[in-house]
Amino acid sequence: MDWESLMQPLILPLVKIALLIFIMMTAAAYLVLLERWIAAWVQDRKGPNRVGIPLTKIRMFGLGQPLADGLKFIFKEEYTPGHVEKVLYTLAPLSIMAAALAVFAVVPIGDVLPIELPGTSGPIQLIVAPHIDVGMIYIFALSSIAVYGVILGGWSSNNKYGFLGALRSSAQLIAYEIPLGLGILGVVLAAGSLRLDAIIYAQAETGLWNVFAQPLGFSVFVIAAFAEAARLPFDLPEAEQELIGGYHTEYAGMKLLLFLIAEFLHMVVAAFLIVILFLGGWHFWGMTVDASQPIGWPMAIARIAILAIKVLLVIVFFMMVRWSWPRFRFDQLMNLAWKVMLPLGLVNLVALTIAYEYEYVNDLDGTTRGLWIMVAVGWAVALVSWVLAAVFSPLHTDNRPRRDVTDAPEYEYEPETLRQILATGTQRASANGP
Amino acid sequence: MESAVLPVFLFVVAATGLAVGLLVLSALVGPSKNGKVKEMPYESGMDPIHDTHRRFDVRFYLVAIAFLVFDVELLFLYPWAVASRNPLGIDRAVSEGLVESRGLVFAEVLVFLALLAASFVYAWRKGVFRWR
Repeated sequence: MDWESLMQPLILPLVKIALLIFIMMTAAAYLVLLERWIAAWVQDRKGPNRVGIPLTKIRMFGLGQPLADGLKFIFKEEYTPGHVEKVLYTLAPLSIMAAALAVFAVVPIGDVLPIELPGTSGPIQLIVAPHIDVGMIYIFALSSIAVYGVILGGWSSNNKYGFLGALRSSAQLIAYEIPLGLGILGVVLAAGSLRLDAIIYAQAETGLWNVFAQPLGFSVFVIAAFAEAARLPFDLPEAEQELIGGYHTEYAGMKLLLFLIAEFLHMVVAAFLIVILFLGGWHFWGMTVDASQPIGWPMAIARIAILAIKVLLVIVFFMMVRWSWPRFRFDQLMNLAWKVMLPLGLVNLVALTIAYEYEYVNDLDGTTRGLWIMVAVGWAVALVSWVLAAVFSPLHTDNRPRRDVTDAPEYEYEPETLRQILATGTQRASANGP
Repeated sequence: MESAVLPVFLFVVAATGLAVGLLVLSALVGPSKNGKVKEMPYESGMDPIHDTHRRFDVRFYLVAIAFLVFDVELLFLYPWAVASRNPLGIDRAVSEGLVESRGLVFAEVLVFLALLAASFVYAWRKGVFRWR
């Protein structure tokens, strides 16, 4: 077997994987720097601005900071405390990191590159696994593995903070996976495919991004994506004022870094998904889109750049939100997931189902009239559910003390029982005990 | 000879390899010191009382069960969502006589969604979603 026949099935994917992992690790490092700069700017202080080229006085606005941080983490002690379950403790950061990176196998980072290599057919698609038809399901499956990493880490740490953080985190992640899925279903329905590149093409060909046709689905998806990425206002898993570090309290050095990178990659994936599913991916108005025609270099570069800029803007939005909202209380978080997001997602899905079926049966698919119908239905549903939500759960009720706790009839001990408890430290079993 | 899933396997292997490699590298070059206090769980400076692995609140199980129900029901909707407006989907099944009519499929999906909504309302009334 000569190397040309290995080009398409083996060499090309390997090159793409190496490039993508390099890009993602570098991007994660520099996005951390960006986040610290934004944090500094929001809080009106100076962020990291010192580290430049070592042994010189060149500071380069702190651009050397990520390299210094990475080196520091490598030279930290690789420590496993004595009280943990060692296998699971090591497995947790490995699994969460591998899953967070592997998601990018089906995420396109552009359209195609017009290069003809020996042994390949057609232009090179900027996606590691271009023939996976179940891209969204794959992403769903891998994002569920993140729950394993979290709960393994928290459980094996043998630390109460870690354990509480893991419980909270897993409850939050699985609760918000349902609204996430409901938001995705509307997009899948519109595109008729689970492939991310096909979803972009479906939006590019009509020029109507899903955010305009399905505003309610977009809101539900974005909120669920924030929760899945455990970003503020949903960062309860590691709420540092309450739980030290949540599920990674007992982690240090490189294992901690793996957790932190994985969390950051979750945010990057969420930004990619928001852009690809709802904001048109690499499409921008004025761009001629025809999947059957080959594209030239300027168009190929433009599509990569547009996608990258959109993703970067969404990431900056993520970071600004972090410094703009306080954290939810846990009961508010669960209420939001089950009692607000889930019904809204269901309403959105039912409305889209009926509207798309009407459009399809009446041969309005892709016509201007069909698009207007979709936009009208989408915004009407969004508006009605917003009004309903505002009526049934007005803003001023959101932050009141928990009524179900304060209104509950408190159990009062009989004086005799109370005296007994105080004296002996135990309560004798009684008929009217709690 | 091009496999669709081979790149995914390669990617998973590469990602795992990167994570393991980083751990090994750090273990090789990092210092190693141990001590009695360092071995203790960090609980804000308090000496830890009893083991962590104890029973925990039943409401977490409730959330898990509710998640299973709704997530699996959602998964059933994905094949339909893909096939609905795809030329290779429901229309082809109808023309090949596999399905009676498009309207029937649509009605079935609406019934399914109604069942989903009914089960949701039932669970809500039963207090599954109340976080006490």
